Amino acid sequence: MMYVVFIMSVLYVVGFIGFSSKPSPVYGGMSLVVSGGLGCGIVMSSGGSFLGLVVFLVYLGGMMVVFGYTIAMATEEYPETWGSNVVVLSAFLVGLLMEVFMVMWLFSGEHELVGFYFSGLEGLMVLGEGGFEYVREDYSGGASLYSYGFWFLAMAGWMLFVSIFITIEVTRKRY
Amino acid sequence: MPYIYINIILAFVISLIGTLIYRSHLISSLLCLEGMILSLFTLNALLSLNINFALSTIVPLILLVFAACEAAVGLALLIIISNTYGLDYVQNLNLLQC
Repeated sequence: MMYVVFIMSVLYVVGFIGFSSKPSPVYGGMSLVVSGGLGCGIVMSSGGSFLGLVVFLVYLGGMMVVFGYTIAMATEEYPETWGSNVVVLSAFLVGLLMEVFMVMWLFSGEHELVGFYFSGLEGLMVLGEGGFEYVREDYSGGASLYSYGFWFLAMAGWMLFVSIFITIEVTRKRY
Repeated sequence: MPYIYINIILAFVISLIGTLIYRSHLISSLLCLEGMILSLFTLNALLSLNINFALSTIVPLILLVFAACEAAVGLALLIIISNTYGLDYVQNLNLLQC
């Protein structure tokens, strides 16, 4: 279980290959949800529980739900999956082969150009488990959006508000 | 730790290639665009947490807001195309208008 974060990042890349090989968008959306969950796990392993929650709530629970409804609206009768079409399957296998070669290259020894040893545990320990820290970085960073980053907040809020009007006018073909 | 960064940057490049190559559906390219945003978010969040610079955790949050607006506009264009042509096949888009 030492390399669990590395395995999660490899499965993250495999999920990306899964929707990048362009099956029917129903299966692509499913693969993106799986990759989003694994990305949340990777972020949380570095101690960022707030940002992992943001991924699940805002990204998967907000944007992917809207995508799911739109895909359900614009889909076809026989969706093609990874096994039903030879183009999709070969793209997926080429990507998978590339990832396997990269992992084998990474494990084949120490490289002079990187200079980091993989068996060092400083990247794999979870921060904040000792109970001695007084500041959670991601919570205080997210809270500083409202104090130091007030102009970010104002611009982002205004942009979201304007994009509603943009969406309405574009859908009405008045661009 | 840098090996995890390599995997996430690789995921960005893979979904970038997926955005640029069209197959039958237009919404698959929008889905690959969302994948690009997800990999950028993960990379930004990991970097902010690992250099212990708490103020830069604003960056992934603002990135997600911009990504939501972009997805909204992209889906609105997809809706017009689907209203005109019935499906979002890329081969239907030969008039240079929605």
